[in-house]
Amino acid sequence: MRTLLLVLLLVCVRPSACCAQGASDSDAGSKLVALENLWNQAAQAKDMVALDRILDDGFVYVDPTGRLLTKTEVLADVSASHGMRFALETMVVHLHGETAVVTGVYRMEGVERGKPFMRRNRFVDTWRYKNGFWISIASLATPIAF
Amino acid sequence: MVCALVSASMYAPMSVAAQDAAEGENTATEIRALEHVWNEAEARNNNRALDLIFDNALVYVEYGKVMTKGEYLLRIRTERPHMQQVVMEGITVRTFDSAAIVVGIYREKDVKDGKVSVSRWRFIDTWVKKQAGWLLVAAASSPLPR
Repeated sequence: MRTLLLVLLLVCVRPSACCAQGASDSDAGSKLVALENLWNQAAQAKDMVALDRILDDGFVYVDPTGRLLTKTEVLADVSASHGMRFALETMVVHLHGETAVVTGVYRMEGVERGKPFMRRNRFVDTWRYKNGFWISIASLATPIAF
Repeated sequence: MVCALVSASMYAPMSVAAQDAAEGENTATEIRALEHVWNEAEARNNNRALDLIFDNALVYVEYGKVMTKGEYLLRIRTERPHMQQVVMEGITVRTFDSAAIVVGIYREKDVKDGKVSVSRWRFIDTWVKKQAGWLLVAAASSPLPR
C-alpha cells in the first residue's frame, strides 16, 4: 500500500511535457523538494519500486564514511537496514536549467551494535531532468561535526 | 541500390551512437582539464582563474560546512598558508549532455603548528555547461577512514 502511495506521488510530481523547458523555477523547486521527501520516505519504507524510479541507473552515492556505492549497492543497503529513521531538517534547491543541486541536512537515528545513535549529516544531491522526470544522478553525505 | 539503402540505414544509427560517445569523451577530457585548472589555481591562490570556472551559485561543502562561491574564494585567498599539498588520486567523469559528474579521491597533507597530518577525501563535483562554458556548480567531499 505504501509502495502504491509513493508511486502515485511520483506520478503526481511528474512534470507535464509542456513544462519541460518553460516550468518556473518555483515549480521545479517544489517538485524537487517533494522528490527529496519521497526519497526519504521510500528509504525508510524500503520501497524499492519508488527508489528505483527516483535514482538513475548510473546513480552514484558517497556515504558519510566516504564509501562509494552504485544504485544496486544503495538498494541492497536500504533493503538490509533495520529500524533506521531519517528526518530532513533543511533543504535548498539550486536550479541550473536541466540540472539541479539540492543541499540540506538530515538527521539519522537507529540502533548500531545494540546502541542507539543519532547523527546529523549534510547532503548534496544532483538531479537531472530526463525524459520528463527529475531523476537523481549523484548524492554525497558528510558528517556535520568534525 | 537496396543494399546501399540498407547499409546506409544500418550505418546511420551507429554513426550517431559513435558521435555521442565521442562527444562524451571530449566532454570528459574537458572536465578533467578543468579539474586540473581548479587544483593548480587553488594551489597558487589564483582567484581570477577560479572565478572563471566557478558558477556564481556554487555550493561548496567541506568539513560538513556549506560555503558560497564568495566564501570559498575568500578562504582560498586568506586562510591557506599552512596548506602544503592536495594530490588527486584518480577521478571518473560521467557526462549527461549539459551536465557532468566527477567522482574521485584526493589526499590532503596539512601542516599546522609543525605537525603534519594527512587525510583522504572522496568527492563528487557537479559541472554544468552554460553560456560561459563548463562551470562548477557543486562540490562536496566526505572523509575516508584513516
